[in-house]
Amino acid sequence: MAVAAVHSGGIADHIHPEPQGFIRRYVFSLDHKIIGIQYIITSGIFLFLAGALAEMMRVQLMKANGGFMTPDTFNQVFTMHGSTMVWFMIIPLMTGGFGNLVMPIQIGARDVAFPWLNMIAFWIFPVAGLMLYASFLMGAPAAGWTEYPPMSLQGQAGTSMWCAAVFLVGVGSTMTGINFLVTILKMRAPGMTFTRMPLFVWGQFVTAPLLMIATTALGAALAALFIQREFGVPFFDPTKGGSPLLWQHMFWFYSHPAVYIMILPAFGILSEVIPTFARKPIFGYKMIAFSSCAIAILGFMVWAHHMFTSGMAPALQLPFMVLTMLIAIPTGVKIFSWTTTLFGGVLKFSTAMLYAVGFIALFTIGGVTGVFLAAVPFDLHAHGTYFIVAHFHYVIAGGSVMGALAGLYFWYPKMTGRLMDERLGKWSFWLYMIGMNGTFLPMHWLGLWGMPRRIAVYDPQFQTWNQIESAFSFVMTASIILTVINALVSMKYGKRSGPNPWGARTLEWMIPSPMPYYNFKHIPSVFSTPYDFGEPLPYRGLEEELTPTPPPVAAAH
Amino acid sequence: MAVASVTQAGIIGGHHAEPDQLYVETRELRVQGFLLFMVSDLVLFSSFIFAYLYLRSSGQGWPPPGAPKLDLALAAINSVVLFGSGATMHFALENWKHEKFMKFAGWIVATICLGALFLSGQIIEYAKLAVGWGTSGIFGTAFFTLTGMHGFHVFCGIIYLTILLLQCVHGKYTFQKYTGLTLGTLYWHFVDVIWVVLFSIFYLL
Repeated sequence: MAVAAVHSGGIADHIHPEPQGFIRRYVFSLDHKIIGIQYIITSGIFLFLAGALAEMMRVQLMKANGGFMTPDTFNQVFTMHGSTMVWFMIIPLMTGGFGNLVMPIQIGARDVAFPWLNMIAFWIFPVAGLMLYASFLMGAPAAGWTEYPPMSLQGQAGTSMWCAAVFLVGVGSTMTGINFLVTILKMRAPGMTFTRMPLFVWGQFVTAPLLMIATTALGAALAALFIQREFGVPFFDPTKGGSPLLWQHMFWFYSHPAVYIMILPAFGILSEVIPTFARKPIFGYKMIAFSSCAIAILGFMVWAHHMFTSGMAPALQLPFMVLTMLIAIPTGVKIFSWTTTLFGGVLKFSTAMLYAVGFIALFTIGGVTGVFLAAVPFDLHAHGTYFIVAHFHYVIAGGSVMGALAGLYFWYPKMTGRLMDERLGKWSFWLYMIGMNGTFLPMHWLGLWGMPRRIAVYDPQFQTWNQIESAFSFVMTASIILTVINALVSMKYGKRSGPNPWGARTLEWMIPSPMPYYNFKHIPSVFSTPYDFGEPLPYRGLEEELTPTPPPVAAAH
Repeated sequence: MAVASVTQAGIIGGHHAEPDQLYVETRELRVQGFLLFMVSDLVLFSSFIFAYLYLRSSGQGWPPPGAPKLDLALAAINSVVLFGSGATMHFALENWKHEKFMKFAGWIVATICLGALFLSGQIIEYAKLAVGWGTSGIFGTAFFTLTGMHGFHVFCGIIYLTILLLQCVHGKYTFQKYTGLTLGTLYWHFVDVIWVVLFSIFYLL
């Protein structure tokens, strides 16, 4: 009880009344939950744009000699697809979106550490997105999302706009990283030690420093590219002493950790969804948490495995290969823990659980091909082919996106107070599984047969498989559209969920749905991890949360 | 951390423990957030320093042929000016803590002046080098980008400290609650430390 006394008069007891105007409540909101939903909706819009670009590519590739668009347009389309999906869809959705939505509640806080910074970080994101798409007006970037010089130096004016847009969205990500790190370090409820934090919080906790450090390094690379393009400063121009390889080092030093920015929060979502629907304590709580840390640390030491074919020092290839393969160990620990949690559980296959289990299957395929590609001799063969495309789409579309969809179906009732339709949800899952595998599985062998990626036309012998892929890609799109329709319709017509439709045990399920502005009437105390299904809840001080008594609102000032 | 706060506010602070708790906790958050901001800023500098060292080690030797010669003496004087400003900033904050407003104001004005003097020294150095950013090969690429970035940080710092001084004059901070001043001081020392690194790698290495 001494602990409770500590907080009297502190941040935890500092409750502002909820703002009533529409603008302050829903547009320039300081509330982490509203900001989280804003992120989810905005990244949904970018998913739509990037998905449309992907379908344009698939239409072009239905014929070996193309014809749907010019090769130059094709280059712009795949560049914008990749850039949008990575920086404007997955990263904001996984960190700003789901992170904002539930992380502060899961640690028993009323908000993030810096609500204003949170709001600014969000509003940078759509502005940067508009800038990115404005680059279509001035000749969009066309050198792929990695923008290697010298091609990016020859790109049209939009390439500089691309640099500025990605730099800006990176500034927003850095702000989010700092904000989340301080929040998790300083604002946990009494008793919420590090080893009692929900695993989704662990995911965000490990992702935050990556956002903070890696994104800034990318900012430096983008600034250098921008400076070279606009002021002729020869960072990457070998005729004046610069080096194109320098870009690859600077870029991948960010972009490899960025892969983990995209996947670690998804690991966190899985670690919430799987024990909830298996009705079992999660297997290896500490191992899951610590393996995330191991992945994050190793993630900074492996960037050059993207550069085996680019003429880096051969002596460095072996250490980078070994370090990259080491990442498979902590990742395998997680896969093992989740499957062991499933084993012997009372499984309830709701849509969220289906997506989570689908994640395990597809992400494992992507992970295994990742180990293939870490091996230098194999990489020399497969680099720049569709095998790479298959690999990272299994990790991102099969991993991150599936994790995000699991999270959406899981936390949707928490956002709206209503459940998403399970029948439509299951349709969307199976369509996604079929579409995703049909689109990307054949890319493995197409790549091994030597079909190069990022080319608008190709050898006619590959045409049949490409047509199959294109057909399945529409199935995948249909699945996403089904989920969007489901989300929109359920907002009004969904079944009322009540506070805890899944019988989950983390703190966000202990308060009403949709979540009240102040989160908790009284900050609870925490006594154990949230995964001990069958035991009494490990919280104290939550008795009044579901009663209609008003919250203690401090005087406005 | 929460326990440490209660010691500060409840035992040392004694009678005014209640209203100060919010301040103590907010201050902790802000200082920590600012430290993390400096970490990410450090990463920005480190990336460019990496780029410089990479280019330096991958070509024609350093300084590259045709590069202008740096003026070590001028840079040394300039460094002393900047380090001096770090000391004056420290005195400014200490005087604020000891509730001496006029001394605080004097020291912070001295800091701002020394900062401006440092920037003037930079401009003189740039003028003496008399080569363009984009036209002087990788020498200009590395030197002007990094020192320019640092100079920009000093420039922002001058504006930052000026705003802080004006806020103090208008009574935004009290002698008990001055988180903004702490952050400004941290920032100024950070800019100092960056200069130590830049001076070493450009003039001494």
